[in-house]
Formats: sequence, C-alpha cells, structure tokens
Amino acid sequence: MSSSNRNFIFAYAFLVILPLAALAGVLKSGRKLAAPPAIDGLWNFQFESSHGATSTCTDALVTLFEKTVSISQSGTTFVLSMPDDARITGVGTLSGTKLQAAFASSEPAAVGCAGHQQVLTADLDRKVGRGTLAGILSAPNCPSCAPLAFRAERASISAPGTPNKGDH
Amino acid sequence: MPNLFTLVLQITVILAVCRVTGGLFRRFHQPRVVGEMFAGILLGPSLLGWVAPHFSAYLFPAGSLGFLNALSQVGVVVFMFLVGLGINPKELKHQSHAAVLVSHVSITAPFVLASVLALYLYPRLSDESVSFTNFALFMGAAMSVTAFPVLARILVERGMMKSKLGSVAIACAAVDDVTGWCILAYIVVLIRAAHHATSIWVTLAGILLFAAIMIYGVRFLLRGYERAFRKHGEISENGMAILILLAMASALCTERLGIHLLFGSFLMGAIMPKEPKFVRYIVDRFETVTVTLLLPLFFAFTGLRTNIGLVKGPAMWFYCALIIAVAAAGKLGGSMAAARLSGMPWREAAGLGTLMNTRGLMGLVILDIGLDIRIISPALFSMMVVMALVTTFMAVPLLDLICPDQALRTVPKRVSVPDVPLQEIA
Repeated sequence: MSSSNRNFIFAYAFLVILPLAALAGVLKSGRKLAAPPAIDGLWNFQFESSHGATSTCTDALVTLFEKTVSISQSGTTFVLSMPDDARITGVGTLSGTKLQAAFASSEPAAVGCAGHQQVLTADLDRKVGRGTLAGILSAPNCPSCAPLAFRAERASISAPGTPNKGDH
Repeated sequence: MPNLFTLVLQITVILAVCRVTGGLFRRFHQPRVVGEMFAGILLGPSLLGWVAPHFSAYLFPAGSLGFLNALSQVGVVVFMFLVGLGINPKELKHQSHAAVLVSHVSITAPFVLASVLALYLYPRLSDESVSFTNFALFMGAAMSVTAFPVLARILVERGMMKSKLGSVAIACAAVDDVTGWCILAYIVVLIRAAHHATSIWVTLAGILLFAAIMIYGVRFLLRGYERAFRKHGEISENGMAILILLAMASALCTERLGIHLLFGSFLMGAIMPKEPKFVRYIVDRFETVTVTLLLPLFFAFTGLRTNIGLVKGPAMWFYCALIIAVAAAGKLGGSMAAARLSGMPWREAAGLGTLMNTRGLMGLVILDIGLDIRIISPALFSMMVVMALVTTFMAVPLLDLICPDQALRTVPKRVSVPDVPLQEIA
C-alpha cells in the first residue's frame, strides 16, 4: 500500500467514519429528550355562560373565538389566528402544559375592545381525545371586560407527513 | 376554480419583483438566484405582509395560494430534472482521493454538527409529534446540501470551471446533492410510513424496484435520444413530449411510492445520457420557462411561508445565529479541513469550503419539503431559510477575499461550458 493510500485511509477513518459513529451516539442520546406537547392545528372554542355580565367587549371576544381558531406551533412558542379574519393574531408561549397568549390586531376595532390587549391563559389536557384546553380569556386593562372561561377541543391535528400545501 | 385575475396578478407581481431584485443583486456580483430568493422574502409576511397587510391580503389571499403552489411545484419538478441531468456519475468515478475525501467530509461534518445542534434545538423549536431522530436527520440533510447550480454559476463567472478547484467543487457538490436527496428520501419514507397503512418494507421494496427499473431499464431506452440527437442534431417535438411525460411519470411514481415528486424527476434527469451537447440541448429547451417563469413562483411561495416575524426576541435570534454558524462551520470548515488534509494549499482549500457552503435553491427545496411534511416548525423553517440565504450570499464576497487572483477572477461576458448546464438557473 502506498503512503498516499495509507494517508487517505487514515484521513477517511478520522474524518468520515469516526463522525458517523458519533452521529449514532448523538441520535441515541437524543431519544431521551422531551419536546413540548403538540398543540398545532385547529381548535373549537366553547365559552361558559357569563351569567349576565356581558358587555360589548365580552360579546366581541366570544364572537371572535366562536369560529375555529388555528394554532401554528414552533416549539415553545405559537401563533393563534382566526382563519376567517387575518387581522387578528395572537402570539403565545407554552410552558409545560400551560399556554399564555396575547392578542394584537392590525385594527383595534376588530377585537371590539378599543385596542385593549386580550390575554388567553389555558391548561392543556392531552388525555382527552386529541387534546383539550381549559382556561380564561380576558382583557386585563379593560374595565368593562369580564374574564370569560372557555374550553377548547382540538378539531384537527397537523401530524408530520401530512401535506401542508398552501399554508403560510 | 382559481380566481384567474388574482393568479395572473400574482404571477405578474412576482416576476417583476424577481427580475428587479435579481438584477440589483447582479450589480453586486451576486448570482441572480440569490436576488430572486430575496425577492420571495420581500413579497411574504416578513416585509410586504408587515408593511402593507391589506395589500398583501389582497394580492395573496389564503385561498389562492394552493394554485400558486401547484404551479411553483411543477417548476421545481422540472428544475430537479435539470439538476439530475447536470450530474454525471462517470465524471465522479474518476475523481481523485482528495475529491472523494472532501465530498464525504462535506456531508458528514455538517450532518454531525447539525445533529448535535438538534440536541439543543429539539426541545425548543420542535414538538412531541416529531421524533428526535427524524428531526436530527432532517437538520443534517438540510445543512449538508450544496447548491449545485449556484456553485456552477459562480465558477463559470469567475473563470474557475476548468481549474482543479472548480472540478473538485463540482464533483463534491454532485455527490453531496445525491447523498442529501437519498437521506431526505429515507426520512420522508420513515415519516410517511408512520402515518400510513402501508408497511415501510413494502414502500422500500417498491422504491428499490422502481430505481432498478429506471437504472437498468429506462436508462438504456433513453440512449435512443442521444443517438437521434447525434443523427439529426435535434430532438423532435414528439420526442420532447415523451421525455416530459417520462419525467412526470417518474415523479408520479415516487410520489405514489411515498417519497416525493421531486425524487422521481431528479432520478429521471440523473439517468439521462450525458453527452455534453445533448445535455446542453435538453437544458436549453427547458431552461427559459423554468428559470424566468416557474422558479420565481417557487421563491415567492417559499417567501410567503417564511415569516421572519416568528424569529422574535433575543433567544430566537440566538438560535438563528447558531444555525448559521453551525451550518457554515460544518460545510465550509469541514470541506476546508478535508481539502487541506488532502494536500490542497490553504487558499484553495478555503475557496473550496466557501463554494461548498452555498445552499441556495437546493436548500430551499429541501426546507420546503420539511415544512410540508411538518418535520420543522414555521419558526425553524424561517431560520433555516435565513441560513440558506446567508450562506449563499456570503460565497461571492468570501471568494473575493480568499481567491483575489486575477487569473481566477476573469469574467468572460459569455462562457460556454457544455459539460455543466444550469448556468442560467443560478
């Protein structure tokens, strides 16, 4: 075997085969990692009765969420949006099974609360069906807004392998 | 039914913005494709949707994007056929030890580094619906790919195509792309098999059978094209129509087998005869429509899915910077180290590393598949798109620094390099 061939074999073993062995180790150790729970998909919201404490604000909030709400997840952060109203989006974080999101709108009137920020806090229960959320929707800075309790059920799951054409 | 007015308006705006941005980038000695990729980002939620949300919603209503995507995917199918056509396995066989080592290291180094990075990013940017193995393998594949057409374009413009550095770079990029696509096919099969009734073994057997038919059957039939071209100096319209049909049928087969349309068209291109004049002839027939019409639609669609706004806050920008650093360290650093160990002088080794670090359009195509099959989240997709743009953009300025040699920088106005097509695509 010539010296150049020997050098090539050593270099190949050191730079290619050894890293591949390391890759196997990385893949094995990575299996123990836990990723955040999946909440990506469409959710159907249902509000509990507000016992007569309604106002223009709370009515607007209920109207907003009565339709399907889409959650687009990126790890521990997510974006809430209304498929029928692109003006309203919420940005939130996921900590364990607790969700917190704040809503902003490109048009303050769209959220019905004169530009006051809406806040959503919820707990995720993964044991029921595709997952459920139970929490409160409120506008902390709006004096006429009573917090609203809600439950939401995951209507569709965006599983890996599912084509996602047309999303953005 | 698509709203034709909206669709044609979208195409018009996309083509105009892509031409203008591509032209601007050319003034700064960047390949046009970099400008067009950038134009896609400008048209998406990262700029147009942010600055003029109403106009953006009017121009790109959510319901219309399916049609735009369908058109753009046809463009990418044809593009992948042309990329496959540009790869000549025979040329790869005659490469030196240096090329073999560099090409393999330029895959393994970014791949391993990407999987190490995945250990950090998986709990932060993924979710439990994606397994770590699939996530890490995808990150590896996306980081180890090289933009073969962009690289060819840069080499042609710098008059480096026939240099040792140029030939090694082209061979390595070809090996990287073939390997990257094989790994991606494997990941797509794994993921889709987990959610479909068909056993993975049936899928794998089907893929192997299809590949065998293509390589040992269809490839020999395709030689008739080369013979006809030698005899008549052209391919008849019917011949071209059959060729398109074959490419589409091959794409449909791989889609049906559970991988992706693009693998079929790439394989069809790869098994085509490789006589340089014949390759150039076929490329010329497809190039104009693909490059000037269909690929800009793909850039725009990718831009519409890229939302830089999702990369919010110091933590997210740190992840983004980390992705860019790891991608560059793996690809540029890995290729450079291997080239140096193979005896290449430092300057050439660094030049080779810089060239291998361009991900360009190939990177976007892979990322698009990753988002489609939901293996990467929207925020990670946006970060990876930024990485693909940055690593492609940095190639020319870095080469100017590393290889300032006038002999290597001669830029002929029109260069004919028949054995490496796809110059215009880049």
